[in-house]
Amino acid sequence: MPGETDIVVTGIGAVTPLGETFAGSWDALIAGRDAQAPLELFDTSGCRCHTAASCRLPALDDLPAKIVRRFSRASRLALPAAREALAHAGLLDAAGRSSLRELPISVSTTAGGMAFGEDFARRVFAQQRAHLFDQVSRYLPQQQILDLQQTLGFRGHSVIIANACASGANAIGHAAALIATGAAECVLTGGFEAITELVYVGFDCLQATSTDKCRPFDVNRSGLMIGEAAAFLVLESAAHAARRSASPLCRLTGYGHSTDVFHLTQPKPDGGVLVEVMRAAVQQAGITPRDLAYINAHGTATQVNDGVEAGAYTTFLGDALGMTRISSTKAAIGHTLGAAGSIEALFAIAALRSGKLPPQLNLQTPIPEIAPALVGANESTENPQHVMSVNLGFGGSNAALVFSSAA
Amino acid sequence: MKLDLAIAGQGAVTPAGIGLDALLEGRAVPVQAEASGRPGQTWPVLRVDLKAPAFAHWQREPRLRRASPITFFLVEAAAQALGDTTPEARAQTGLIVAYSAGCLTYSRRFYEQIVEQGQRSASPALFPETVFNSPVSHVATVLGLNGAAYALVGDEGAWVSALITASVWLKEGRVQQVLVLGAEEFDPLVLDAYRSARWLRQKGFLTSEGAAGILVRAANGSSTPTITSARDGFIYRTRKEASEAAQALIATADTAAPLLRTARHKWLAPLEEQLTKNRPPTPELPYLGEAFLASAAWRMLQAVSLLGPALPRLHLPVWGLNHQFGLLELSAAK
Repeated sequence: MPGETDIVVTGIGAVTPLGETFAGSWDALIAGRDAQAPLELFDTSGCRCHTAASCRLPALDDLPAKIVRRFSRASRLALPAAREALAHAGLLDAAGRSSLRELPISVSTTAGGMAFGEDFARRVFAQQRAHLFDQVSRYLPQQQILDLQQTLGFRGHSVIIANACASGANAIGHAAALIATGAAECVLTGGFEAITELVYVGFDCLQATSTDKCRPFDVNRSGLMIGEAAAFLVLESAAHAARRSASPLCRLTGYGHSTDVFHLTQPKPDGGVLVEVMRAAVQQAGITPRDLAYINAHGTATQVNDGVEAGAYTTFLGDALGMTRISSTKAAIGHTLGAAGSIEALFAIAALRSGKLPPQLNLQTPIPEIAPALVGANESTENPQHVMSVNLGFGGSNAALVFSSAA
Repeated sequence: MKLDLAIAGQGAVTPAGIGLDALLEGRAVPVQAEASGRPGQTWPVLRVDLKAPAFAHWQREPRLRRASPITFFLVEAAAQALGDTTPEARAQTGLIVAYSAGCLTYSRRFYEQIVEQGQRSASPALFPETVFNSPVSHVATVLGLNGAAYALVGDEGAWVSALITASVWLKEGRVQQVLVLGAEEFDPLVLDAYRSARWLRQKGFLTSEGAAGILVRAANGSSTPTITSARDGFIYRTRKEASEAAQALIATADTAAPLLRTARHKWLAPLEEQLTKNRPPTPELPYLGEAFLASAAWRMLQAVSLLGPALPRLHLPVWGLNHQFGLLELSAAK
């Protein structure tokens, strides 16, 4: 990152459709499980697609039931993930609260607590008057941030980035920028997304969802699988981590982001903007593309996205394609939208630390130009030093993060 | 937090008219509007005139053919703030847009289709325009800003977050200047929300819509007005917590610089009055109704217009709807 500030990751936590913790999710991912199942959160009878990757909500037994009842589904996902990250970083006290009273937070979501907003709208359309305020007052994204701040006992600067499906990477990159410019020393960052009817039907009516398996980078891919998740990281300056004797998991060394103005919902066909963003990230990290051991790709499994993305990797990696391994974990956990950039960054970090690589699930006939790079079952790499996580979003938001080994 | 952002351009879209003069004059006439859930019952609201000549050019843009009103507000405010910025400079310009509800009109219409007509009838043309990032993308495309761009959401405190983010980008050297915008659009559903919160009973309170924006650069001894510092993160949920957070916030403002009152007609107004009663009186800002992030941006531009030899420095409180309070310090041109 710019300047002389080394930025380290000291804690991670997640709730995903594969598990209620990051470790559980990672183990299931490496084992090759995918979480596709019939969606039961609301009636999908009018939709083309009826499946999704939804989470089992972790119990919040330590909190009063009346408090938990007020939480949106988004908060029910975000709280355990953020708490796991803080605990992992050694920043959670015995009472389950942050030991840093002042703790900036940089987070992402695309829908916040939209299910409350939907409930409010339904009651208004039906001209009901009961409980309207309870619903409307808690659907906006800042309410989930307030739930985190008050339940985990911290306050301070907060940023909520809603750059569609690249938001999670943006939130992490922005947290790093806060630290690099001296605006903060330690930041809780990440993203969360709960499946809601408005968003599910939105992708369904665009015919962007698949009625088959989600098959990123497959010639016969037919669309994405909607998912939900929450994933958080503790980022801090290396000096701050050293002062409190925290062990870095890895360093965040590069962040690139830019806007592709080609089309509201489609990337520029030549993938040029994405290539620029990835180059900016590796340049900031002081490495070359061939130094990347693994890329967690956006890979939504839509026809347009994966074709453009595959082309962009071919250009970006050049003759290193195949040496750098690539997979999209959306085949396993679905497209988690505002959380995607965060959970996929965590998977990249786990690959960096363990050498184990998430396999490209559900692959039958790979897109030829990227086929040599796609991760097979039970693949691993020795001594990886750098990994990348890449995201693209509606509106042309592109972002790439580079994580490097702690040593 | 030190910001040192020089204000290099300003733009405004308001129910009082288009442009900075209309904002500063602040003469808007309410119209009556129905809430979604209360047919036949109306409330006064302040609306932007989308038939104003300033929008005609944007309404011919192919990219904006399906865009929501909030996009038109933003594009016009952004174009004013950018002024005659060259295409080369635009390529080095970051874009940050902050809102609370975002593309509410299309979100409501899309969800109403789902509820009233069934999931099968939901329009694929509407859904992309419901996304928070869509207006940002439209602004970037139409005005040739293809660098860093963020959509930020939150209560009015997101305006302070947006300015802090701009300062971070400039310190990083990621861009040479940043266009920071705030906006909201009206929808009948807003009246249902405000009614449920009992805000429509608040004397003088008016629902509103619009946008405003500023172009900022690193101050470096600039001869334009400057946003010198920002404080944020004074969070609350209950009224008791709001009182404590407001006290803590106001205590951070040094008494040497006047503090503007900005909570007029909000439920926070009595609290602001109580906390600032011993401070010198300051001019009352024109009231253009409540439109969260647009209002936060309007108030800042109104405050900047007050700066001069007689008022070289002032504090501007930013009272958030339901999350946090912040404070900006502004300085006159040197």
